[in-house]
Amino acid sequence: MPDELILNKEHLTSFLRKIAREHRLIAPVKNRYGDTLFEEVSCLDDISLDLESRPAMPPTHFLLPQDETLFRYKREDGQYYFSEVLPEVSTVLFGLRSCDLWAIFLLDMVFEQDFKDPFYLNRRSNTILINNPCLEPMKNCFCKSAGSGPFLTEGYDLQFTDLGDRFLVEIGRPKGKALVEKWDYFFVPATNKDKNKQYEAILEAESRFQQVVDLNTASLRFINNEVDETLWEELATRCQGCGACTYVCPTCHCFNIADRPISETEGERIRTKDSCALPGFTRLAGGHNPRQKRSQRIRRRFYHKLAFAKEKYHRSSCVGCGRCVEVCFGHVDMIRVVETICEKAEKRSSAASLQLGEILVNTGLISSEELKTALEKQATTGKPLGTQFIDDGLLTRDEIGRALWHQMNIPSTAETAD
Amino acid sequence: MKDSAQTLVRDTAANVYQPYPASILEVKEETGDIKTFTLKFKDKEIQEGFTFRPGQFVLASLFNCGEAAFSICSSPTFSDYLQLSIKKVGLLTGEIHRYAEGDEIGLRGPYGNGFPLELLYGSNVLFVGGGIGLAPLRSLIQYLLSKRSEFGQITIFHGARTPGDIVFEKDLATWDKQEDVNVETTVYRSTPEWKGNVGPLTSLWEKATISPSNTKAIICGHPAIISYVFFDLLKMGFAEENIISTLERNMKCGVGKCGHCSIGSKLTCIHGPVFTYREMKELSSVS
Repeated sequence: MPDELILNKEHLTSFLRKIAREHRLIAPVKNRYGDTLFEEVSCLDDISLDLESRPAMPPTHFLLPQDETLFRYKREDGQYYFSEVLPEVSTVLFGLRSCDLWAIFLLDMVFEQDFKDPFYLNRRSNTILINNPCLEPMKNCFCKSAGSGPFLTEGYDLQFTDLGDRFLVEIGRPKGKALVEKWDYFFVPATNKDKNKQYEAILEAESRFQQVVDLNTASLRFINNEVDETLWEELATRCQGCGACTYVCPTCHCFNIADRPISETEGERIRTKDSCALPGFTRLAGGHNPRQKRSQRIRRRFYHKLAFAKEKYHRSSCVGCGRCVEVCFGHVDMIRVVETICEKAEKRSSAASLQLGEILVNTGLISSEELKTALEKQATTGKPLGTQFIDDGLLTRDEIGRALWHQMNIPSTAETAD
Repeated sequence: MKDSAQTLVRDTAANVYQPYPASILEVKEETGDIKTFTLKFKDKEIQEGFTFRPGQFVLASLFNCGEAAFSICSSPTFSDYLQLSIKKVGLLTGEIHRYAEGDEIGLRGPYGNGFPLELLYGSNVLFVGGGIGLAPLRSLIQYLLSKRSEFGQITIFHGARTPGDIVFEKDLATWDKQEDVNVETTVYRSTPEWKGNVGPLTSLWEKATISPSNTKAIICGHPAIISYVFFDLLKMGFAEENIISTLERNMKCGVGKCGHCSIGSKLTCIHGPVFTYREMKELSSVS
């Protein structure tokens, strides 16, 4: 069987119907409120399949569900027992977008490295990914900037490109091949004309992006410590702390672990999706919270997506799906943050300078006269205050770092002796 | 149910989230709100196979109550049990304080990097433990004392809120009796009976001769106090990589997945909880 085939659009429903009989089929469905969401489809006749819009929630929720049982436990005669839960059925994810597939590839790395996560990995190895690349980027999409779309050349099991009255079906991996071979009567080999048509569609789609988001420059600014620290305070006044950005983000994977009691003698250990945008995320027993302030949490999220992921996986963990842009009414989203970082880097505001100045004076590293002189000089040179001190030979970079670290770790109450 | 035409691929990876049952052999009351639990895995093979480095931690499960991370406070040289010292501060710690000898809990681990033993051989070691922060240090102290000749001078500073809050009193006394170990204890708020030092941990510096060039400092305690300890050690001339601390973070999974214990680009459960001051300084700018 060739690796490129044609599926007539008329046959799509029949093909999906066959799949749904043997697998759990997940596909984008428009509901009666007009929202398109990935849903489990058991009867193709009762739903309206929507391949036009990008589903509001990412498909990664089917690999890492909102909540799942990690094991069951019971207590009998004072003894504490644990028992395994079994993996679930084989799943086909249909109607995925390239951005979402990239998100899955990132999650694969997260759950594979160090300790293997058996739940994610079992589910993943029993999942078939069918990509439907976007021919028409949506208003807030920027997968092209993120290097994750709109088309994929590998990673998918099958890729369905819409060519008007038919799909060009590309076979990527053995699981995809098996699916097509099983019902090969739906498919005919693709011609050169079909392949050319796909090529045109790719060029056309790539030219249509409304958003160009310079994730690389933003990542570099983070890595080189060139991001204006006052930005986070400013964003904190816009952020409502609802955590929606983390729930719609296809690469967010943080979770909480807790017990769900079933009775006096038994229960289950579950994990549920969690969000670094919420204050309780880092709170310790006893109350101390290393990321107490909303600005710290926003900062964390963007550092993670743009700098730390790059360090670890050699790419940012933003795939450009644009969901956070749509969900945040305070506009604390990837597009705006990246734009601001690219614009405002190195322009330290006077408020930040004063704050640093105060810390340095309080720790006795400089006198208030020296601060005054430096601030006056800074007004003409335009250098960041710290750089000004270093250039004038008053302080070393180390001393400034140490003073900041020292200051940061002193809580407001003196009553915490241990 | 779907037709079973599809065979499911089963990854053979064990369930890293599932603990093993362990029995409480002994409960010792250290202070009004701290108890030390001596634990042993019920499965003999698991107990025998359980090895760790001082500074590593375990996740302890309580029936219908969830799970939390605790540093092991006993030395790996005691191989037929492990100990956890737990301060009552929240729901789970409150619950375990109601547990008694013979009760069962769940344990999984050990996790984290542990203390860098290879750096300590041949050096003097200064321990600074604030309150329950002495617990992870105790594991290392016991370990070093079991191989005493391989290390230099050992100094142990412990600070507590009040004399009643001093932990491991018996251990402190035993260690102090050893000729080549110097133990100093201080309290923040004194009582009429207390004859010892009064003042913060940092008031103990003058009680011992510390030579910054060939000493490694190992510190654990509340952030409010340890930042002062760092500052003083740096002023004394300690190199940043010779100041070592173990951090406490909200931990859920212990295996680098859940994201809770992230600090900068690192995860406390995988890359920590033990960091040098130099590493912490780099991480601190990104909390």
